Amino acid sequence: MEKQLLRITVNNEYHELYVKPKRLLVEVLRDELELTGTKRGCNTGACCACTVLLNGVTVKSCSILAMQADGTEVTTVEGLAEGGKLSPIQRSFLDHGAYQCGFCTSGMLISATALINEKPSPTKKQIKEAIHGNICRCTGYNSIIRAIKAVAEGKYKEEE
Amino acid sequence: MGYKCPSCGKIWPDTMDLARHVFGTGDQAHKDWVNSKGLNFIELLLIQTMEPGNKGYKTLAELLEKEAEKVD
Amino acid sequence: MKKYSVINTPIHNIDGIAKITGRAEYAFDIKLPHMLYGKILRSPYPHAKILKINTKKAEGLTGVKAVVTGKDTLGIKQGIWRRFKELCDEEILARSKVRYIGEPVAAVAAVDEDTAEEAMDLIEIEYESLPGVFEPIEAIKEGAPQLHEHAERNINVTRHIEWGDVDEGFKKADHVREDWFRCSSQHHVCMETHNAVASFTPDKKLTVWTSTQSHYYIQVLLSWVLGLRENDVRVISRYTGGGFGSKFELDSAQFCSSLLSMKLFKPVKIILTREEEFMATKRRTPMFYYLRTGVKKDGTFLAKEGRVFTEGGAYTSMGATALYLTGFFQAFPYVWPSYRYDGYRVYTNTAPTSAMRGFGAPQATFCAETQIDLIANDLGIDPIKIRRKNAMYPGYEVPGQATIQSCGLSQCLDKIEKWIKSQGKLPPNRGIGIAAYGFMSGGIFNWFDTPYAFSSAVIQVNIDGKVDLYIGSQDMGQGSNTTMTMICAEELGVQVEDIRLHMGDTESCPVDLGAWGSRETLMQGNAVKMAAAKAKQQIIEYAAAKLSPNIVYDLDIKDRWVHLIARPERGLSYYDVVKEAIRGKDGQPIIARGHYTPHRKGMISPAYSFGVQAVDAEVDPDTGKITLKNCVTAHDCGQVINPLGVKGQLEGAMAMAAGYGYTEDPSMDEGKILNPNLVDYKVLRATEMPETKVIEVETYEPEGPFGAKEAGEGLTNPTAGALGNAVFHATGLSVKNLPITPEKVLEALKEKKKKKKK
Repeated sequence: MEKQLLRITVNNEYHELYVKPKRLLVEVLRDELELTGTKRGCNTGACCACTVLLNGVTVKSCSILAMQADGTEVTTVEGLAEGGKLSPIQRSFLDHGAYQCGFCTSGMLISATALINEKPSPTKKQIKEAIHGNICRCTGYNSIIRAIKAVAEGKYKEEE
Repeated sequence: MGYKCPSCGKIWPDTMDLARHVFGTGDQAHKDWVNSKGLNFIELLLIQTMEPGNKGYKTLAELLEKEAEKVD
Repeated sequence: MKKYSVINTPIHNIDGIAKITGRAEYAFDIKLPHMLYGKILRSPYPHAKILKINTKKAEGLTGVKAVVTGKDTLGIKQGIWRRFKELCDEEILARSKVRYIGEPVAAVAAVDEDTAEEAMDLIEIEYESLPGVFEPIEAIKEGAPQLHEHAERNINVTRHIEWGDVDEGFKKADHVREDWFRCSSQHHVCMETHNAVASFTPDKKLTVWTSTQSHYYIQVLLSWVLGLRENDVRVISRYTGGGFGSKFELDSAQFCSSLLSMKLFKPVKIILTREEEFMATKRRTPMFYYLRTGVKKDGTFLAKEGRVFTEGGAYTSMGATALYLTGFFQAFPYVWPSYRYDGYRVYTNTAPTSAMRGFGAPQATFCAETQIDLIANDLGIDPIKIRRKNAMYPGYEVPGQATIQSCGLSQCLDKIEKWIKSQGKLPPNRGIGIAAYGFMSGGIFNWFDTPYAFSSAVIQVNIDGKVDLYIGSQDMGQGSNTTMTMICAEELGVQVEDIRLHMGDTESCPVDLGAWGSRETLMQGNAVKMAAAKAKQQIIEYAAAKLSPNIVYDLDIKDRWVHLIARPERGLSYYDVVKEAIRGKDGQPIIARGHYTPHRKGMISPAYSFGVQAVDAEVDPDTGKITLKNCVTAHDCGQVINPLGVKGQLEGAMAMAAGYGYTEDPSMDEGKILNPNLVDYKVLRATEMPETKVIEVETYEPEGPFGAKEAGEGLTNPTAGALGNAVFHATGLSVKNLPITPEKVLEALKEKKKKKKK
């Protein structure tokens, strides 16, 4: 099958690539663009380890063809820290030890970022629902919930 | 005093310990020794689990009392 | 409570920045020039002879570079119990016979995964299907299909533990109970599936990047099965995306990628799919448990007899250890005047069962703690009181097995009792159940037959005071990298930022047996502490020469200040002393080594952690659904080293153990796993996780570094039992068959109603 032109902005960088039509977004991100921060934990869209932001909304990048993301803006975990400065969510994760093996962490951070962007002061219930899809086998989730709650409570307000 | 395993020579303080070692090691050499003495290794193990009391181990321990070399 | 500068302070995990910025490179991420992609073809039959394999069509497909089968191997049957040859029974790539659905029979390397997949469909294999056997009770019957030539009646291993006179004990008992239990299997569900990138170069050296819990074991096992010199094999594993017991044996990704690379002299990457992960990697050992227990009417324990059959699956794997440990921990954490355990591991035509967090102890604890609550209920005794009456205590000797040194069990019971009282009366269909446990801090056994110390460490102090710490332990998320850095910093008297950690590479790191059996904190920790103490001593010698104190004074280093302990204002900067010390040593950096191997520490472990967990659960009588409301754990891990880490481990262990208790239901039919995906196999999600509270009970363990013991694995033991007991107190139902699913609850409710009617 003939390759098609994919125009995509990832972490504020514009790319033009030729990709096979069957290629998944997660494959293009990890292989062609070498952004291996986004992981894959399954083949059935069940674990959310591959979660990225597509035009500001969380999507499972294993469940989207790369060509479906043509013309969009994608944010991966590598795009959260601007110029080496960690985002509030990232700093909170560090302080709360909200990761262990780290394999689900990228997806978790993206889900958390999307939540805070949409609802700056979510309740615990809303936090749990926002990361319901993200499977973590190591932490038991509570440290992640505490980390997100702390950001929600304004403890990591950006310094001007 | 101790008892020497007739199969591999390891020394154990009493015949129950020796029986535990023989069953636990369970390799062909130990099985062959038990079977050569008129008992059946597997049957003894199954008796241990299917019947009340410590029958399988006690039977082997009795055999070892007779057959195993006693050392100081 | 002793105050430390580094340990027991909330330090950021030292791998934190890498992990939260997506920079951590797992073997899953490795990409090398000219790398090929591999796929493994697996047996669809649970038991069959391999008659013929024809790989010609597959080899002819464009993009396929090589196909390997069993005939391309040295035919070595390997296993991790190297000292016991008959237990080394697994070829990995089957040559003449397959014994479980999912057993590898061929592997392909191609330019991409899609091509490799296509090639697999072109491999022609002729099987002669044989009758299979799937349950241990069936497999030991006369005439059952025999899996291995050497194993009559499919009996793989047996274990026996005994002390006192159990039969006399039963005669003296006022109350005797018999109960049967079935403990299910469980899947590890590491987020990073098994994978490997193997690269064999023309100088006959093999490098393998892989996701593992023990790069040392993989190095040795690979060199064995491939016929290579041990140190011509290099295994690299800087980050591991979860292990939980599934990743310290040689696996199909490592073996097949190595074989393919050795044929092609190009790197070959194999990543197992999630489906393969369920079907064809090892899993928790399912157990059929019989317990007979005799007590006095005041609740004093007198005698316990346990008989267990485990479903071994097709190969020994680590199943022999699980068999022993379940028998050992069945008697934990109480004083039993007499005890007898007989365990049988039976081969079956199912995926091999092996090690999973807890290693036989979660199964033991579920059965033991469920029965204790039933006995307490029979006798009208409070569940806490009956446990307190029989609890282990510091100095207790488990006859012929172990000496318990530190033990905070009684304090844990007190804390939990207090919490339960604070909850007051519960609403209907709600109950609090408890379970007590004890667990090992690393094993004393050397069935791997290593000639090395169980754990080693090397320290080098450089001119700017930066410390290179080389360790062999593996961080799979449990935080050992941070723990070791903290131990080194505390002992040496510096801060965490002064340490540069080297791990995960057999080429440069000293040997450590790996992250399993909860051994890292105690064993690697002791080795690190020893090395740090020796390095500190060398620095102190120079400081002493400089300060010339009265000979009765001792020196120490704390917070980068080398000083007299009695007169801390008299001292020197650590940085200055290091500079001079190195000059004084002919310009050589300060180097020190440490190691640890348990000697004469009983039959199991040098030290034991303890705890009591309470689970507050609600049962919906209409649906049978269980909702976890709260979970409180009082636990004793000796001195806490990494508090953020311990809390995380506790919550994670609880989630995994709760899954074992009520949501994770591995269904199998005639050897075929029916739910090999994350939708149908349900691990706990964030919305199901209750509030968790941790109460630390501090003790000091003389065997451990700074008094520390394990904390990550023992916490997996109690939850299933506590949950089951919560269901019992909420509904009067005792479900003895894990997991406690809604269907089982409804079935039990139905039975209860029937009995009432009668």
